[in-house]
Amino acid sequence: MGVPMQFSIILQQVVNGLSLGAVYALIAVGFALIFNVLKFSNFAHGGVLGISAYAGYIAANQFKLPLIPVILVGMVTGAILAVLVELIAFRWIRLQKGQLVYFFVTSVTMLMLLEQVLIIRFGASFESYPYTLVKVRVLQFGDVTISVTYLLSLISTIIAFSGLIYVLKKTKIGIAIRAASNDLTATSLMGINVNMVIIAAFIVSGMLGGLSGVLYGISASLSPQIGQIVVKGFIASVLGGLGSLTGVAVAAVVLGVLEVFLISTIGSGLSPVVIFLLMVVFLLVRPHGFAGVSFSDKA
Amino acid sequence: MLEIKNLHSGYNKIEVLHDINIKVPDGKIVVVIGRNGAGKSTLLNTISGLVKIKSGSIEMNGQKIPSAPHKIVASGIIQVPEGRRIFPSLTIAENLIMGGYLASNAEMNVRKEEVYNTFPILCQRENQQAGTLSGGEQQMLAMGRGMMAGPKILLLDEPSLGLAPLVFTQVFELIIKLNKERNMTIILVEQNATIALKMADYAYVLENGCVVIEGPGEELIKDARVKAAYLGAAVKTLKEPSPREYLE
Ligand SMILES: Nc1ncnc2c1ncn2[C@@H]1O[C@H](COP(=O)(O)OP(=O)(O)O)[C@@H](O)[C@H]1O
Ligand SMILES: [Mg+2]
Repeated sequence: MGVPMQFSIILQQVVNGLSLGAVYALIAVGFALIFNVLKFSNFAHGGVLGISAYAGYIAANQFKLPLIPVILVGMVTGAILAVLVELIAFRWIRLQKGQLVYFFVTSVTMLMLLEQVLIIRFGASFESYPYTLVKVRVLQFGDVTISVTYLLSLISTIIAFSGLIYVLKKTKIGIAIRAASNDLTATSLMGINVNMVIIAAFIVSGMLGGLSGVLYGISASLSPQIGQIVVKGFIASVLGGLGSLTGVAVAAVVLGVLEVFLISTIGSGLSPVVIFLLMVVFLLVRPHGFAGVSFSDKA
Repeated sequence: MLEIKNLHSGYNKIEVLHDINIKVPDGKIVVVIGRNGAGKSTLLNTISGLVKIKSGSIEMNGQKIPSAPHKIVASGIIQVPEGRRIFPSLTIAENLIMGGYLASNAEMNVRKEEVYNTFPILCQRENQQAGTLSGGEQQMLAMGRGMMAGPKILLLDEPSLGLAPLVFTQVFELIIKLNKERNMTIILVEQNATIALKMADYAYVLENGCVVIEGPGEELIKDARVKAAYLGAAVKTLKEPSPREYLE
């Protein structure tokens, strides 16, 4: 019996890792979208994610909304909040033609500010989404037990990314977001209002952030520090080679699987240490990340 | 008619352009020549709204042009920037869609057809990433992307830079064709003064941010100062046929 038992555990771990990786991928892609357009690391994304996770929690807990509306509440909150952050915090720096470091510092400040809002409202305790939100908790396939909340993360991520790909490849505004990632000034020379494109990028990024917050909240638990998982998105973005969203998503999934395996083997204390070391080594070997492609100027 | 009146512009505290006066009548080719750093790109970027006007004005048909770059494009003034600045990770087709961002779908299809007829290579590579194109092909794409907007006034910033002779000819032929057949107004910035002056209806020489010489193209070619400063070395090395001769 030993061998099939082990296999089933491994399979469960893989599913757990993939679903955690899926959430990381949502975070990382939302993070990378803004990095690509504005060229700074937007840690405020973590704050957006955190508030959205709690918005979903309130929708589920106090308003007793079912799963899909709860997810939508999280996404809409994320979109609105991300746009507010852009309008209040970043646009002004942009108009002053501020250096990138100001954006970075502001984004970290926004993360702490939004986190503080959660601490004031909810204290330092942990909360959970109501258990009844996902009614069937596990699926049993022979020896293999799969958590439905994990499956939910996976499936939601796949749906979200399908939507994202459609928007970025097939709609004018989506193509404009990719164009702006290449060259913001040239984008304005196309007659495109770059402020609108930036707003669109924040909406998309905020929706992904809101979704990741709710999914993470449902499959794990909520604390006001939840926004700090944006660091995982940051790591995955860097490993994936920021420019390529596909690379970023793949790196995030790898990171999720790796983390689940490390935690189950060496424990949750050492796991982050190993991950940071791996990140450093990897970047020494491949400074442009997994998918790092750079187009050189051609004469 | 585009009219630049007593224009001063530049970056932050540095003024680059000083008291520029330029008239661009409809349907004409106006050329601006000048050395590296003279302020040619700054001039085009001021027209496009990328560089702020410090004082003076830019008017189209007696009306001040808008200040936001995207509104300037909407008013029909399109720039093909220096160094092409195509979107490398977008496909060629997507680059063209961006060029025609403000156009209706119907206009977009007609113009895309035109661009593909002008540059068949772009059609063949439609779904390829633009960053994989050669320099000459990227210039074709940049021109095509500009055409997608349906410009009334086309601003071209050194389109010949680094081009092989064959592409070079093709690009200048296109400029003349757009001007003659479409009656498109062209402002052409060039270091390659010989060819540019030959096709110019009127030309300006920019030095250190000031217009120092101006006149009809043929006159400037004969001008002793222009010859000495801008044509001397160039004439000896230039082997490309003049596009005008080529067409006629
Ligand atoms: N973004 C910028 N910031 C500050 N100075 C600039 C900028 N771009 C160009 N300049 C300066 O403006 C002057 C004119 O440059 P430019 O218009 O690019 O000349 P040209 O196109 O004729 O080669 C140069 O002295 C250049 O250093
Ligand atoms: Mg220049």
